[in-house]
Amino acid sequence: MKSIVIALLVGVLGALPPQAQGQTTLTDDRGRVLTLPRPPQRVVSLLPSLTETVCALQACARLVGVDRHSDWPAAVRTLPRLGGLEDTQIERIVALKPDLVLAAVSSRAVDRLESLGVPVLALEPQTLADTRRMVLRVAQALGEPAAGAELLAHIDARIAAAAQRVPPAWRGRKMYVEVAAVPYAAGEASFIGELLGLLQLGNVVPAALGPFPQLNPEFVVRAQPDVVLASARALADMPARPGWSALKALQSRHSCGLAPAAWDSLVRPGPRLGEAAEAIADCLAGLAGLGRIEP
Amino acid sequence: MRTFAELMDTSDLPSPAVPKARDGGAALQARGLLVHLGGRRVVDDVSLVLRAGEWVALVGPNGAGKSTLLQLLSGLRVPEAGEVQLAGRPLAAWPLRQRAQALAWLAQQGEADGDIAVRDVVRLGRLPHQGLFGAPDAADEAAVSAAMADTECTAWEARRLNELSGGERQRVLLARVLAVQAGVLLLDEPTTHLDAPHQRTVLRCLAQRARSGAAVAVVLHDITQALAADRVLVMDGGRLVADGAPRDAALQAALVAVFDGAFSIEVVTAQGRPRWVAVPAL
Amino acid sequence: MKTAPLALAPAARPAAAALTPWGLAAALAAAAVVLLLLGLAAGAEGWSFAWGDDAALISAIRAPRTLGALLCGALLGLAGALAQGLFRNPLADPYLLGSAAGAGLGVVLVLAAGGLLGASMGLAAAGALMRLGLVGAAFTGALFGMTLTLVLARGAGRPLVLLLAGVVVGVLLTALADVVILLSPEALRGKQVFLLGSTSFLGWSSVVTLAATLALSLPLAVLLGRALDALVLGDDSAASLGLPLPRVRLALVLVMALATGSAVAQAGLVAFVGLVAPHLVRRAVVVRHGPLLGLSALAGGVLLLAADLAARSLLAPRELPVGVLTAVFGGSYLLWLLRRRMAS
Repeated sequence: MKSIVIALLVGVLGALPPQAQGQTTLTDDRGRVLTLPRPPQRVVSLLPSLTETVCALQACARLVGVDRHSDWPAAVRTLPRLGGLEDTQIERIVALKPDLVLAAVSSRAVDRLESLGVPVLALEPQTLADTRRMVLRVAQALGEPAAGAELLAHIDARIAAAAQRVPPAWRGRKMYVEVAAVPYAAGEASFIGELLGLLQLGNVVPAALGPFPQLNPEFVVRAQPDVVLASARALADMPARPGWSALKALQSRHSCGLAPAAWDSLVRPGPRLGEAAEAIADCLAGLAGLGRIEP
Repeated sequence: MRTFAELMDTSDLPSPAVPKARDGGAALQARGLLVHLGGRRVVDDVSLVLRAGEWVALVGPNGAGKSTLLQLLSGLRVPEAGEVQLAGRPLAAWPLRQRAQALAWLAQQGEADGDIAVRDVVRLGRLPHQGLFGAPDAADEAAVSAAMADTECTAWEARRLNELSGGERQRVLLARVLAVQAGVLLLDEPTTHLDAPHQRTVLRCLAQRARSGAAVAVVLHDITQALAADRVLVMDGGRLVADGAPRDAALQAALVAVFDGAFSIEVVTAQGRPRWVAVPAL
Repeated sequence: MKTAPLALAPAARPAAAALTPWGLAAALAAAAVVLLLLGLAAGAEGWSFAWGDDAALISAIRAPRTLGALLCGALLGLAGALAQGLFRNPLADPYLLGSAAGAGLGVVLVLAAGGLLGASMGLAAAGALMRLGLVGAAFTGALFGMTLTLVLARGAGRPLVLLLAGVVVGVLLTALADVVILLSPEALRGKQVFLLGSTSFLGWSSVVTLAATLALSLPLAVLLGRALDALVLGDDSAASLGLPLPRVRLALVLVMALATGSAVAQAGLVAFVGLVAPHLVRRAVVVRHGPLLGLSALAGGVLLLAADLAARSLLAPRELPVGVLTAVFGGSYLLWLLRRRMAS
């Protein structure tokens, strides 16, 4: 009788779903399902925001290789560089024997690596919601689901704190965020616009124009944003543009030119968005007295 | 039955007002010309004289070097040995523009290709006189009109060059050469795409130019037409094998030999004068 | 165009072109004026003729970029006509001799000067590049590309060799630019923008530069126009007319370089204008190269201006890259040409 019970128990245990044995199954942004037998210990990341997420989840030590453009935190700069979006070094990646590769959906390396038997998780967040999902999935893939939720909470807290630090006079003001000099702007619908929304800051570019529209420069001059947000280098060139000297924001120096590190944290949809929020809040707080601003 | 030779007789026509060559009979002299192309001697020790007032036919089988010889005579190609003299001066010593005024050259194949109007093409013949930046004057326009009348292409003067057929284009390009009013005319197969009446027109025109004092050399494929010239030069394998009047027995023998006896040369009488005709030996 | 003082043969009817060159010039000039006025009305909110209210915007932004588009198009049309005459090929365009690739390399180097590459370039070099600015770099790059081509081909004497050298230089410099972009990704966006062309930031200083370039290159080109006529006869025949061909060709290439470099530096690599403008003129009238060059400039200006207006107003306040629209116009025209060819 005892032997039958033991046999039954073993059978039942053996039939339990694999998750129970440390295996993870997740779906990436392509809709593909990836099953990892155990938490990966050798991780390659081919997108800066994914690199930063891994490190923010305290798993930096597991990184064995990153792409050319990953530069935060300082520790990853000593890791092997495996190329960019177009010229990923497949051979080197395979030689590193990773048990997980994190890559952008648009990377051409994804299919090649998968056909070589390398497990690939392809993630490319476009909105804040995507970014949250990305953080949770990376955490799940690393076998630390709790850490993911913690990180999100931490980021939310930083953003909320930054929102508190935005001087009340600036709340609701319209910002113009320029991502490239054409001008390409970040509109309300982009993740940058959403972040500004969380800081209770408005955007001169409405959601109807799309996330990153190429604008007629006249539009910006007409819209007369209250604050201009751009990289420091782009900001330096702005007053020289024809007609832009009429921008009151530039005249009264109500502009935030972010240094490269801070700018990167803003344009990469990843764990450093909290930092970006803080940089914006600090800048606004530091702007010279508002004087009399028309409502 | 009228033969081509009879048709070629110009003695009964009134001579039209063909202007005298501006240089007044510049003669061309070549001595010991030698040129290699692709390892082969294309022109081998050729010496000849072109005198004002005569038109000379240059004949020979394909690949004999006729076109190359013409390029050497016009200064477009530099010989490896030998020299060409124009009016007693070496060709190389002539300034480009003056040389272009004294010597006009017609290319063999139509490499001409463009959308510009026919009259503008013919007007290019006045470039050596106007220079790159000069504007055409009344004398230039008269020369252009005369040249177009001579080659009977006045009717198309406003049409694009590319719209014309091969033969029509040939006449326009010839008009361009005539418009230069040079003392020396070197023409590479000017009758190729033309039908018989137009061939006659062209050759009569060239003969008239010669009568008016120009030195004319024409590469021809038709032996009978060549035998209507004042003098015939026969080339074979790069060498000048014969040089004489059509009536010379030696010249005729050389002609027949060079073309492997493909024809025989017979004499006919047309308008009371002897003319020579190549009769195919079938 | 002069007509002969002699009467034509009575039986002949000259096949005259439906339009005279002066007629075409007048039509194009009228179109240019209309488009210029429309340009002053094409704003961020679509068409607006309330010019009083928008006076500041018009004078600071709309007017210079509209004029700039006209001038850039004129320079490209001129350069295209020169290219087609020099190479005796109706499909030649002004970017053939390495100018496009050179300008692209210049732009990319400037954009990269601040980034990763800048760190390795050294402060002095990076600083110098930044001062040159995008416009200066594009212009210098275009001239550099063409100079390299001329050096490689040992002068402008042989068109086929020149063309091949231009292809080689284009491939080489494009590859170099790609390497720079790999090392400095922030240059990528800027290069894409440059490739597609934009008149967004053409100000009055740009307009003055472009006008000066046009004032210099157009008369020079028209003066040399007879040489292009002579080239219609073929190289040997043209030489037999007493033309110093190599020197004349070199002069024409230099004028082409100046025109292309200036246009590309200000407005980016706008496609098809240089190719299509001379075509349209030649279809409409029978002209020598002198008038052809002038009319091509006018036609090019009208083309680019029309494309720019469409780019600005189709999706206002968003803008399409003007190169996309010129490609659509140009591509459609070539398609139509092809169909006519096949039908005949």
